[in-house]
Amino acid sequence: MSRILPNLCFIGLTLLLSGCGKPDDNAAVTTGAEADVSAEVEAFYAANPEFFGFKTLADVPVDLNWEAGEGLPEIGSPEARKGGTQYGALQDFPRTLRTVGPDSNGGFRTFLLDEVGMSLTHLHPGTRELYPGLAEAWALDPENRTVYIKLDPQATFSDGAAITADDYLFMFWFYRSPYIMAPWYNNFYSTTYSNITRYDDHLISITTAELKPDFAEKATNLRPVPQHHYKAMGENFTERYQWQFEPTPGAYIVREDDIRKGRSIALTRNDNWWAKDKKHWRYRFNPDRIQLNIIRDSAKMFEAFKRGDIDQFGLNLAEYWYEKLPDSDPDVQAGYIHKSVFFNQRPRPNFGLWVNTAQPLLDNPDIRKGVAHATHWDLVIEKFFRGDNDRLNTASDGFGDFSHPTLRARAFDIDKAQQYFAAAGFNQRGADGILANADGQRLAFTLSTGYESLRDVLTILRQEAAKAGLDLRLEILDGTVGWKKVQEKQHDIHFSAFGVPLEMYPRFWEHYHSVNAYDDAFLEDGSINPERQLKTQTNNIEALALFEMDELIERYRRSNDRAEMVALSHRMIELHHDHASFIPGFYQGYFRVGHWRWIRYPEGFSYKHAGSAGELYVHWIDTDLKEETLAARRSGQTFDPAITVHNQWAE
Amino acid sequence: MLQLNPQTAKKLQRFRRIRRGYYSFLILAGLLVTLAFGELLVNSRALVVSYEGNLYFPTYTDFHPGTDFGLDYAYETNYRQLKKQFAAEGNDNWVLLPPVPYNPYENHAPGGTFRPLPPTAETQHYLGTDTTSRDILARLFYGTRIALVFAFAFTASVYVIGITIGCAMGYFGGVFDLVFQRLIEIWSNVPFLYMVIIIFSVIPSNIAVITRISILLLVMVLFSWTGMTYYMRTETYKEKSRDYIASARIIGASNARIIFRHIMPNVLSTLITFMPFTIVAAISAVTALDFLGFGLPAPTPSLGELLKQGTANLRTAPWIVIAAFGTLVILLTLVTFIGEAIRESFDPKTHAVYR
Repeated sequence: MSRILPNLCFIGLTLLLSGCGKPDDNAAVTTGAEADVSAEVEAFYAANPEFFGFKTLADVPVDLNWEAGEGLPEIGSPEARKGGTQYGALQDFPRTLRTVGPDSNGGFRTFLLDEVGMSLTHLHPGTRELYPGLAEAWALDPENRTVYIKLDPQATFSDGAAITADDYLFMFWFYRSPYIMAPWYNNFYSTTYSNITRYDDHLISITTAELKPDFAEKATNLRPVPQHHYKAMGENFTERYQWQFEPTPGAYIVREDDIRKGRSIALTRNDNWWAKDKKHWRYRFNPDRIQLNIIRDSAKMFEAFKRGDIDQFGLNLAEYWYEKLPDSDPDVQAGYIHKSVFFNQRPRPNFGLWVNTAQPLLDNPDIRKGVAHATHWDLVIEKFFRGDNDRLNTASDGFGDFSHPTLRARAFDIDKAQQYFAAAGFNQRGADGILANADGQRLAFTLSTGYESLRDVLTILRQEAAKAGLDLRLEILDGTVGWKKVQEKQHDIHFSAFGVPLEMYPRFWEHYHSVNAYDDAFLEDGSINPERQLKTQTNNIEALALFEMDELIERYRRSNDRAEMVALSHRMIELHHDHASFIPGFYQGYFRVGHWRWIRYPEGFSYKHAGSAGELYVHWIDTDLKEETLAARRSGQTFDPAITVHNQWAE
Repeated sequence: MLQLNPQTAKKLQRFRRIRRGYYSFLILAGLLVTLAFGELLVNSRALVVSYEGNLYFPTYTDFHPGTDFGLDYAYETNYRQLKKQFAAEGNDNWVLLPPVPYNPYENHAPGGTFRPLPPTAETQHYLGTDTTSRDILARLFYGTRIALVFAFAFTASVYVIGITIGCAMGYFGGVFDLVFQRLIEIWSNVPFLYMVIIIFSVIPSNIAVITRISILLLVMVLFSWTGMTYYMRTETYKEKSRDYIASARIIGASNARIIFRHIMPNVLSTLITFMPFTIVAAISAVTALDFLGFGLPAPTPSLGELLKQGTANLRTAPWIVIAAFGTLVILLTLVTFIGEAIRESFDPKTHAVYR
C-alpha cells in the first residue's frame, strides 16, 4: 500500500538523514537529444486495445443519466478572504517533489497532491457524495461497471495547457510504467481498472474490474498526468524528475525559487487557477502563499507556534492540549491563540498491538488471548489520553454498517490472562514475578513501535502486563526502522496503525489473506503446508493464514451485493477477533488544533468526515486581524478567549 | 601490608594536600558506596515487613506476591499501599519503607493522569516526576549508577587494550609498530556515531537489556582504545632507550620482565593522569547517545533520556531538566576536579629523578 503509514510516522524520521539537504544540481540533468516518450506510449495503447479504447461520440449510449453533484452544500464560507501568507513547518525537507516512486510517500505529498491536487470528482466531506472536480458531469452504467465522464473544458494545468482526455489515457500508462519504480501503483492501476475509452477531447469512460458498491468513487477518483511534462520519461525517471514540480490542476504551485533545500519550501496560489470561481472550490485555498520552514524538533516547532512564527499547531496529544497549551495559558486567556476541538466520523486508524503469529509461543492462541487480557488499554486511555480517546474494538471500526455492531475488545483481566497463560503451560512465577513454563522458559516478548511520541503508552502497558506475569521488552524505533522491521516480519508484537482512507468498506485482502502471509500457505485440502515460507514486505503483519478467512475474502472481493459484503465483513471481523492476533488499542474521535486569532474558520469549523483541520483548506487568513492582534500583543490589549468544542458530529 | 613505592607514597600525599581534588574524591567515593547499596535507599520494595509475627526483608529476595501478606493478588506487593493498609487496620503488622519508596520503572500518578508533577515532599517525589509519572530521583539515582558502572567498565577495557597494544608497539617497534600504526589510523577514521546507529539497527531486539548494554559498551570500546595507544607507544619508546633498560637486558631479563617490572611502573603517571578524563568522556558519550536515542535501551533509567525529556518540556516541567542537568554537572565536575588533582600530584616535573 502506498499511503499506509499514518502521519505519526513522520515524527522522528528526521535524525538519521538530517544531512541530506545540501544543494545539488540533480534537477538540471542534461537532456541531450530531446527524448520523446510519445511513440512508446502510443505503442502501449496499441498493444493493449482491450484497456485503451478509442471511439467516437456516436458510440456513447444515449440514455445516460448525467449527474453533477447538484444540490450539495457548498464547501467553505463566502466570508473567506483571499490573501496573506500561511506559515507552517515541516520536520524534514521533502526528499523529492515527485508524487510517485521512491521516497515520494513523505509528509510533503499532502501539499503536492492529497490535499491540494484535483481529481475528476471528490467525496463531499459532509455527505460523502460525489461533487465535481475536473469532471463537469458523470453518468453511471453499472451493468457494464462503467462511468462516463464529461471533462470540464475550462480545466487547465498550472502551466496553461488544457486538460484533455489524453492526459487520462497517459495517466494509466504512467502509473503502469516500470520507470516510476512503484510496484503498488503498477498493480493497482492494472487490476482495479479494466478499460479507459476516449470519445473526444472532453469525454471519456472508465471501467472498473469489479462492480463494487463504490465503483463510481473508484472510477472518478483519478487525476490527469500531463504528458507534455513527462515527454522525456525513461529509465532515469526518478532522478530526472526528482526536483521538478509537475504542472497541477490544483490551486497551489511550487516555484523553483521557493525550493531552498534543507531550509524551506513554499507553495504559491495560482492567480489564474481555472477553478477559482467554481462551486465547492471558490471559497477554499485562500492564503496567497504557504511558507513551510524546516524545524526538525517538535518541541522547537511548538515554541515557534507560541511565538507566532507558525499560524496553527495540532494539539491532538493530551500533553499539548492540557500541559503545553492549557486553557489557562496567557496567550489563550488573552484571546491571541484560539483552541478548537472538532469531533468527526470516519474510518479510524487501527492503533493497537499487531502480534506476529509466526513467532514461537505467539503461534499459540492461548498465549495471544492471555496477552490481550494482560494489556491495560483502559488505563492508557484514562491516564495518558486523559479519557479523551476511546477503546478501539476491532481493526475495522468506523466503517458504518460494515463495522461489527456488537463485538468488544478483550478487557484487561489479570485472572483471565493467567488462565490462558496457564493453559499454555506458563503457571510458575519466577523470582522477578514473570511466568515461566516447566522448561524454565520465561513469558517474555518484545513490544516494538515506530512511534517515538507514544513511547509512554508502551511503558504503561509493560508495567501493567508485569502484574499478569508477562514481560514486555520495549523497543522504541525510528519510524522507518520500525516499519521496516514489521515489513520483514521480524517483530514479536508491534504497536502501530494503518492509516485508513475515507472508504466505504474495510480492506481485508491486504491484511488477512494467506497469500500475504506465506508462499503456498495451504495444501489443496485446506491443511497447512508444512514447507510454507513466511512472506515479507506485505501488510499481513500478523502472518495470519486461515483457510476459512481466505475463502471469505475471495467471496468478499467478488461480491457486488452490499448486504452480502456487510455480512461477510462481520464474519471476518469475528474470525479475526477469535484469532486474537490483533489487540485493539484506541481511537481518537476528534481532532484538535490551536490557531492564532487571525486564522479564521467557517461556521461549524469543519465537516463531518474531515480528518484534520487544515486538509480542506477552508480556513483563511485575516490580515487585518493579524495586524490588530500583533499590535494588541505588544500593547497588552486582550480579547475574549476562544476555546470551542464542535461536537455536532460526536459519536 | 601493601608496601608503597616511596615515590608513589609521596605523590599520594601530595594528592591529599590538593584539597579540592581530595574532597571531590571523598564525595565521589561516598557516592559510589551509596549507589552500591541503592536498593536500600531508593526502592518500591519495603526494607522490612512485619506480618503476623514474621519478619520479611524483600529488598534483595525473590518477589513477594500480594497473597503473602493477605492481599488478593498474585503479582508483586505494592508496599506503599500495604503500609497504609496496615496502619489503617491498627494491628501489630508494620512496614518500613526506604526513604524514597519508588523504583525507577513504576508509573506513580497520584493525580490520576500521567504527567510531570513538580517536586513535593508530601508524595515523597523529592525531585518531581517525569512525563510518565516516574520518580525522577529514582531514575537519576539508578541512571547515575549505570552511567558510572558503564564508565568504569569502559575505562578499564580501553586501558587494557590500549596499554597492551601501545606497549607492544613501542617496545617491539619495527614492522610491528609500522603495521599497527597504519591499522590504527584507518580504524580511528571510522565514524563512531554511524557505527553505533548501524549496529543497533541490525542486532535483534529480543536479546536482554543487559546484553544490549554490553554490546553498546563493546562498540564504544572498539572505537575508543586507539587514543590510548599513542601515549603508551611514545612513553614506552622513550623508556626503552634509557640506560636502565639496556642494563636489564644485558643482565638477561626477559621481555615480559622488562615490560612489567621496569617500563610499566615508569609510565604509570601518564596512565593515571588520563583516567579521570576517560571516565568523563565515557559518561558524556553515553549520555549523549541516550539523548540521541541510540544509547541504553528503554526503559533503562538514564541521564540522557531525562535530559531529552527535560528539553522537550522546558516550559511545562523545568524540574526535569534542572535535576538531570544538575546531576550531570556535579558528577562531571567531581571527576574533573579529581583528574586535575591527580595530574598535578603526578606531574613528573616535580618528582622525576632520572628525567
